[in-house]
Amino acid sequence: MGLLAPLFLLGLVGLAVPIVVHLTEKQRREVVDFPSLMFLRKIPFRSSRRKKIHHWALLSLRALALVLLVAAFSRPFFENDVVGIGSALGPREVVVVLDRSYSMGYGDRWERAKTQAREVFEGLEASDRASLVFMSKGAEALLRSTSDRGRLLTAVDTASLSADGTLYGPALKLAQTILEESEYPNREAVIISDFQRTGWKGDEGVAFPPGTVVMPVLISDEATPNAAIASVTLNRDFFSGQERMTALARVVRRQGEAPEDRTIVLELDGQEIQTQSVHLDPTGSATATFEPFTLSNVYTRGSVRLDSDALPQDDELHFVLSPGRAMRTLVLEGTSPRPDASFFIQQALEISEEASFQVEVRRSTSLSAADLAATDVVVLNDVGFPQGPTADRLRGFVEGGGGLLLVLGERSAWRTGLEEMLPGRFGPARDHARGAARLGHLDYPHPVFELFVEPGSGDFAQARFFRSRDMEVGPEGRVLAQFDDGSVALAERRLGEGVVLVWTSTMDAFWNDLAVQPVFLPFIHQMMRHLSGYRERVPWFTAGQVLDIADPAGMVFVADRESELPPDVDQVALTPGGGSVTLPAAAGPRFLELEEQGFYEVRPPGTNPERPFAVAVNVDVTESELEAMDPAELAAAVAPREMGVEMAAGGGTLSAEMQARNQERRQSLWRFLMVAALVLLLTETAISNWISRATTMRFKDGGSYVPSTT
Amino acid sequence: MAVRERSSIHGAETQFLDPAVLSRISGLDLLARTVVDGFLQGLHRSPHLGMSLDFAEHREYMPGDDIRRIDWKLFGRTDRFYLKLFEAETAANFMVALDVSKSMSFGTHTVTKLDYARYLGASLSYFSQKQRDRVGLATFDHEIVEYVPPSTRHLQRILHTLARAEPGRPGKLYDPLMRLGDNLYHRGIILILSDFYEEPEQVLDSIRHLRARGHDVIVFHLLDPTELEFPFESAASFRDMESGTMIPIVPDQLVDEYRTLIGQHTEELARLFTGSRIDYTVLDTSKPLDYALFRYLSSREKMARVR
Repeated sequence: MGLLAPLFLLGLVGLAVPIVVHLTEKQRREVVDFPSLMFLRKIPFRSSRRKKIHHWALLSLRALALVLLVAAFSRPFFENDVVGIGSALGPREVVVVLDRSYSMGYGDRWERAKTQAREVFEGLEASDRASLVFMSKGAEALLRSTSDRGRLLTAVDTASLSADGTLYGPALKLAQTILEESEYPNREAVIISDFQRTGWKGDEGVAFPPGTVVMPVLISDEATPNAAIASVTLNRDFFSGQERMTALARVVRRQGEAPEDRTIVLELDGQEIQTQSVHLDPTGSATATFEPFTLSNVYTRGSVRLDSDALPQDDELHFVLSPGRAMRTLVLEGTSPRPDASFFIQQALEISEEASFQVEVRRSTSLSAADLAATDVVVLNDVGFPQGPTADRLRGFVEGGGGLLLVLGERSAWRTGLEEMLPGRFGPARDHARGAARLGHLDYPHPVFELFVEPGSGDFAQARFFRSRDMEVGPEGRVLAQFDDGSVALAERRLGEGVVLVWTSTMDAFWNDLAVQPVFLPFIHQMMRHLSGYRERVPWFTAGQVLDIADPAGMVFVADRESELPPDVDQVALTPGGGSVTLPAAAGPRFLELEEQGFYEVRPPGTNPERPFAVAVNVDVTESELEAMDPAELAAAVAPREMGVEMAAGGGTLSAEMQARNQERRQSLWRFLMVAALVLLLTETAISNWISRATTMRFKDGGSYVPSTT
Repeated sequence: MAVRERSSIHGAETQFLDPAVLSRISGLDLLARTVVDGFLQGLHRSPHLGMSLDFAEHREYMPGDDIRRIDWKLFGRTDRFYLKLFEAETAANFMVALDVSKSMSFGTHTVTKLDYARYLGASLSYFSQKQRDRVGLATFDHEIVEYVPPSTRHLQRILHTLARAEPGRPGKLYDPLMRLGDNLYHRGIILILSDFYEEPEQVLDSIRHLRARGHDVIVFHLLDPTELEFPFESAASFRDMESGTMIPIVPDQLVDEYRTLIGQHTEELARLFTGSRIDYTVLDTSKPLDYALFRYLSSREKMARVR
């Protein structure tokens, strides 16, 4: 409740007027001038009787009327948005959309938001219904269309912040559905949020039903200085035979007032191992580079923490690391290879900062089971395809997940049966027309070439191809690269779990000069990663993501060991908050919702493995961008389409019709007060006149008293 | 009592003495003439009765009479003591002392006390003028407001002064009447017109010195019938017209006490004035002037005999 003209409250001083009038008015109005009071003074008369208030009812009426008049002129209005104002028009359907994204944890925003929600629910009439919708990146209707204020208030009291970001669409859609399902004519949507611009996409396709009053409640602060760990880059390298990790933390600061130094800490498995200081400008970023540390254990939990500020959620970033494993490549070049036939391949794979390739070049075509077991990728470099048991082992190797690269040259020969393993039939070698061909088409979306999709990230057009083997790709095959004359350069076939790639030219400088082009090295690396099924480990997830622990295609990004979480074993996930989620054995998906910030640990129930499977979850750092949008913009977008939208005082927006009606309601109390005051004054006048007539001074002989002044 | 009887006997003439009728006469000169001439015609007596230095009559000696006035010749013939009474001197001083304090403006029956006093003063001054007296006027409240020294030629001035006398200030008797006494070097008749809202002792103290200086003092105590009867019923605030003081009053509860007090006041004044040989009369302003006139003439007559 507020007052438009609070200065009118000074009129309450006038409350003394009725009292004074009551005590003095009759004396003033019925004054009798008498020559001398000499004799009257001699009479032992108790004048106190006149000083008493005889007509308490009259006095009360006058005082009350004055209070009502003052209150009416003060123009009281309901400050609390739309709460309670619609009750005069019948029951209401109120949907409170409460933003609980982690940015609401800035300062005391969350408590203020809950207070606003509580006020809305406390203002409900018995016939009203309300719903509580939590908004983050997802939406959750905790209570739908209930009149139980106790449950609503309890839901607000027990609500907690999520680690998720803001996305308005889902929650507003949910609110729209609730409002559309309601049969109540008065519908109100109260959106309590910090209205971060990052969560607004512009058009969420939300349109509240006609007649809905949309009232955004902005929870904001005058200034929102905030520093956050924007990212952590983890680089691997080998030093003295040991794998080392180097962490670089990028810290971003916004809306600060003065430069400041902040402390940033690196923790591994809960132990603080390094501390750095970063100098931050009021608005800017800085990078903290930690000293390399040795990574020896799987699922090592690391955290980078910034000393806490008003928004602590974005001041820490967690990750899970495991030691890397080198991809083993076996290159078979036959017993009589051309000189340096595998030189470029070997050199390219050995030149790696991360030292993630181990290359062995063998001058034979024999492959034992042990060779294949210790190999991730087999390269047949210009040799005849193995036959007999070796071919079967090779096929089994590929089907089991291994990778095979067939580099065609002079010695490569086609034989029957290869069509079941290769993407197509290859033919004889031929020289390209006009001297040389170039790569004219690359399948950039493919993992082999996706690294080069950006301009300047690798120029295959510089390579000249003088000769290659013709190839006719079969239905199982897929062309990944073609020469500019249309012939196939690179083809792929998936075989079981593995992949077979056929390169129709050599990998040396004999049939082409690709090997001397800068793009050769990353091209080879990408092919080997693709063939070996290598997936870059994901050090952390973002809150709100879901992990299916039964999906091997997904688990390769996080699991260090094969068959880490077998589908026939029950698992339990321990959440960062100390809770647990049961993941029973099942043939189908086993979803783990990553809702909290921190480390999730998954293990069979009742066990305590030394290094259990763990994933790190961090908040979406875009949520730490606290810039707020204009709530009117959002309200205008979701307000009923057929009605215009106007700005209302106080930052709220209402549809034009409802805005006028709502504003009128909010300020219409003065009318009732004025009418009540007038009724009281009329009553008072009637009573006063009656009393006055009853006490009119008159002479006993019926004459009237006429004071004379002359 | 005799006067009242005369008034009733000559009721036809008293219509000229009714204050309600007199209030419609604009000039005091005409009013005075109307009153006096009409009144004297009704008396059927010479207006000059007893107004000479000649012998008037004998009266049997009463204890307390001045033995110097005993007619020894008559004692020789009759062997009884008789006093020889002479008519009073002509061309005596007649001074009207009119109270123009604020309380005199009170009136509930056509005329105020001041109007009534004005009529009386004018009438008696006119009457005295016709008796060849020197007439004078002093209006006062707590001091002398206007002073017209006694003279045979001052009647018009007196009437004019009376006509424009305005009440306005609180009154107090002692100082102005003391001042008046100082100004009157010759003994004469002093007519005091006031409502005497002072304690009887104070009133007497204010007037006694005039008597002590040899003046014949006639006191007319003017009171409105409302002051006498206090006919109010409803509670009201009563404001003292002179001091402005207000007192909330519930008349029903004190009307009897008021009447008792005003009665005691007039009785006490009468007792004190009588004791000082001052002629005192309470006049109800709703009554015709004849009573006052008769009272005056009676007093004059008595004074003349005493001399």
